[in-house]
Amino acid sequence: MLPSRLLRSTVNAAEISFFSRLSSQWWDERGEFAFLHQMNPVRMQFIRQKLLETACDEDETVSQNILKGLQVLDVGCGGGLLSESLARLGARTVGIDASEPNIEIAKHHASTDSRLSENLSYMHTSAESLLSQSRRYDVVCSMEVLEHVDNPALFLSTCAQLLKPSGHLFLSTISRTPLAYFLTIMMAENVLRRVAPGTHTYSKFIKPSELVEFFQSYGSCPWIAPSAAQPTRTEAEVRGIVYNPLSSSWNLAPRDAWAATECNYMFWVRKPAE
Amino acid sequence: MEVWDGISDARIHFSASDIGLDENTQGMSRITENINLQRGLLRYLSTMPDLHLIDKTKMTSIVREHEDAGGWPLVHLDNSKILRARLLIGADGFNSPVRKYAQIPSYGWSYDTQAIVATMFHSPRGPLQRPNTTAYQRFLPTGPIAFLPISPTASSLVWSIRPHIATAIMASSLSVLARMINAAYRLPHDSLQYLYNRILEHQNAGTPISVDEVIEEVEFRERAHGIDTTSAYSSSHTMENTVENQGVPPADSEMLPPLVTSIQPGTVASFPLRFNHTETYIGEGRGSRTVLVGDAAHTVHPLAGQGLNLGLADAECLARVINNAVLSGSDIGTHASLLPYTQERYFQNHKMMSVFDKLHKLYTTSFGPIVQARSMGLEVLNEFDTVKAAIMLNAGSQPRQNEASLRSTVFNLAGSALETASGVKKAADLTRGAVGSMVMNGIQQWMKTSRPGQSS
Repeated sequence: MLPSRLLRSTVNAAEISFFSRLSSQWWDERGEFAFLHQMNPVRMQFIRQKLLETACDEDETVSQNILKGLQVLDVGCGGGLLSESLARLGARTVGIDASEPNIEIAKHHASTDSRLSENLSYMHTSAESLLSQSRRYDVVCSMEVLEHVDNPALFLSTCAQLLKPSGHLFLSTISRTPLAYFLTIMMAENVLRRVAPGTHTYSKFIKPSELVEFFQSYGSCPWIAPSAAQPTRTEAEVRGIVYNPLSSSWNLAPRDAWAATECNYMFWVRKPAE
Repeated sequence: MEVWDGISDARIHFSASDIGLDENTQGMSRITENINLQRGLLRYLSTMPDLHLIDKTKMTSIVREHEDAGGWPLVHLDNSKILRARLLIGADGFNSPVRKYAQIPSYGWSYDTQAIVATMFHSPRGPLQRPNTTAYQRFLPTGPIAFLPISPTASSLVWSIRPHIATAIMASSLSVLARMINAAYRLPHDSLQYLYNRILEHQNAGTPISVDEVIEEVEFRERAHGIDTTSAYSSSHTMENTVENQGVPPADSEMLPPLVTSIQPGTVASFPLRFNHTETYIGEGRGSRTVLVGDAAHTVHPLAGQGLNLGLADAECLARVINNAVLSGSDIGTHASLLPYTQERYFQNHKMMSVFDKLHKLYTTSFGPIVQARSMGLEVLNEFDTVKAAIMLNAGSQPRQNEASLRSTVFNLAGSALETASGVKKAADLTRGAVGSMVMNGIQQWMKTSRPGQSS
């Protein structure tokens, strides 16, 4: 049973019970979530690259430990794959998930690694419930979550409100294209059975252009200038991530690579400084 | 580097100049004594403040932590400390305890061969000769014998030989070993076999062979083979062969290593040769958070001197993979973090190991037609400088890195490819002659070998 405070939110009860059943497998690298384990270094690469890039633009004294000391929120942390990596690089990380078994698994796994304790904490809650707290974050990440929530627009605006001014929002999700249907649902779930059938729902996939449009019309002060067809490099960025089955690894596609964002992609947008 | 066939004397010559390196100052590869390598590494490690080196301590056991606590490997030390390892790297040699802990299966076979290693002393090369910077390797049917230069008057030996002969030679005196090394580079294989038998007879009788007897036997067999006493193939003037009385060296002196005068006591050792390759380099399941490098993962025949190189390449790759994992905040003990290491090294190692294994098998036969074929192959290969350069680059030689010289290397190779065209014609002529004699020799050899078989 979900706590009542979660019910009026973007959390989809069916999705939560689905992932709760799989929770014990989060840290089995060869199991259900093998793809996510393999994807994690690429997510971290994109996050580090983008943070370093913006820091360099602003001529700050840039250190390689760009994440050190940042307040980071990982929404829908699952077993904590990304949260642990963020914490290891020195970010003050909070992982939240609407599934209680997920949080239990994440807490237990983090407890086996003594280096994580000072930077990492987990909470069983929804993003919406955090709005009532005063704490805001330098970076909000939500990886492979957007395609599982109800009312993605509400979810995005919640994430946006959780950011400090000039904060960074990182998302990764799947585009709504025939290719994405073929690869993520037909091949991965139904043919190769690498992912549990029912993990994804095609209609919930979101195109990169829809994310850009959302932030072009968001609030009184849009995050991306509405006039331009493409967001500038300092406003937002969409990068495809492509799976190479031969080396069983994911690669971050170059900017504007042809068709790279047709399936899995990462999205970054920055909150204006007000 | 000079490499030749112990039966047919077919020869191949590898030179640093083939890949655009200066023979006198750079060379194509380097022989380093283990102690220097270790000293250099220790010096480098001492510059790293975060690194703790635990010495004078032995590992007593590796056990797996309880699953609920994380299931990490716990390394118990004999000073009653326990190390909890995020990643346990098995660089612990052929009998790797880490491999046993990780339950990584390996497959392989042992060669019926023992390697004798030693440090040899010899007189310096004369003023009319190249300095002592050439390695010599003769492929005998009992295994290859390699002479690896260390200094003008010292070189290192790796002699692969049948185990019972190795035991008998090791039981004899050091001067017998020195004489036998000289003989192994110079006498035909039949005579060597006779000498081994004499040593074995003495061994079985319980009295190791005396050096005087070896000298006498060698001299007799040199006379029987018609080896001129002024030739480099003669070992009769071994001990007087100093710079002062050497004069003009024999014409064939650079075909052979210098004559060994003595063996450094305490440097002689022997070990069995094996081929071994694990099925994977990364431990999984109950053996997770482990990874193997070097001999723990693969053991090779030393005939190409590549065992250390493979291990160093492993270490370099693993360090790079771990560095990438740290940069992305990954847990370096996980399979996903280490996978690129296996992907990069496993096939590369396997390829090299297979080559060494096939070379060993090719050269331990004295069956006529195969000897003919491999000798012809070697002679032809000797004409193809481009192919030779490729072999050297694969074996770890590095051409100079700056672009201008790289270009000149490429042009040299292209030039020598043209030269090779004439070489091919030469080789083709040689082949035409050789094929005829090969068939004849093959038949004769077959008749010879099959006759005793029929009578018995």
